[in-house]
Amino acid sequence: MATGRIRNNIRTLRFHHDEMTQQDLAKQVGVSRQTIIAMEKDKYSPSLELAFRIAHVFGVPLEEVFSYEPEG
Amino acid sequence: MSFQQKNVAVTLSSFSLILIFFSVRVYQLIQQENFTESNLFWLWGIVIFMAVVVTIVAMILTHTTSTIFEVFRTGNKHPEIEDFEDERDKLIDLRGTKITYTLSSLGVFVAMLTFVFGQPPLVMFTLLIFFGLLAQVIGDITRLLLYQRGI
Repeated sequence: MATGRIRNNIRTLRFHHDEMTQQDLAKQVGVSRQTIIAMEKDKYSPSLELAFRIAHVFGVPLEEVFSYEPEG
Repeated sequence: MSFQQKNVAVTLSSFSLILIFFSVRVYQLIQQENFTESNLFWLWGIVIFMAVVVTIVAMILTHTTSTIFEVFRTGNKHPEIEDFEDERDKLIDLRGTKITYTLSSLGVFVAMLTFVFGQPPLVMFTLLIFFGLLAQVIGDITRLLLYQRGI
């Protein structure tokens, strides 16, 4: 099965939303700050539900937050 | 380090100490030719008691130290501790548990093999406890690695 990487723009989007803190975002989407840190470092790919919640907080479509890069 | 990570680290340390204690004590019993039912039952009792008490005490200690640390860090007298499990914590815990159960099953298989080689039931039960503790330690190491490396 082909694998790829899921990248995200959470850091940039936080910056464009009045430098929203990781703690604030974590609170709004219902996860710990460590999970937001892991996502920003591309060390964790969130569930579809969490991905939608994050996009909802920033008020943008899902594909503006996350992108998929096929391997190779 | 998150609250869940601290919890896993504390459990790992305590179960490693229990595993070392159990292994050393069994080795001493064998060396002193005191590997008898009564001595071994006594040792199992201590190990199971320690495992239960240590887990509870570790949980309380982690909570207390996290709160004190947060009070000093934020200056807030009533800091919010993120002690809930989110989806990432649950996924990591699931993978750690999978490793723990796989190793435990392997331990049961190895313990049963001792019957094939004509060993007494004491050896089987000792191996069961040993592999149970080892599986817990390896599972916790896996959890910590997954927290560090990412999933």
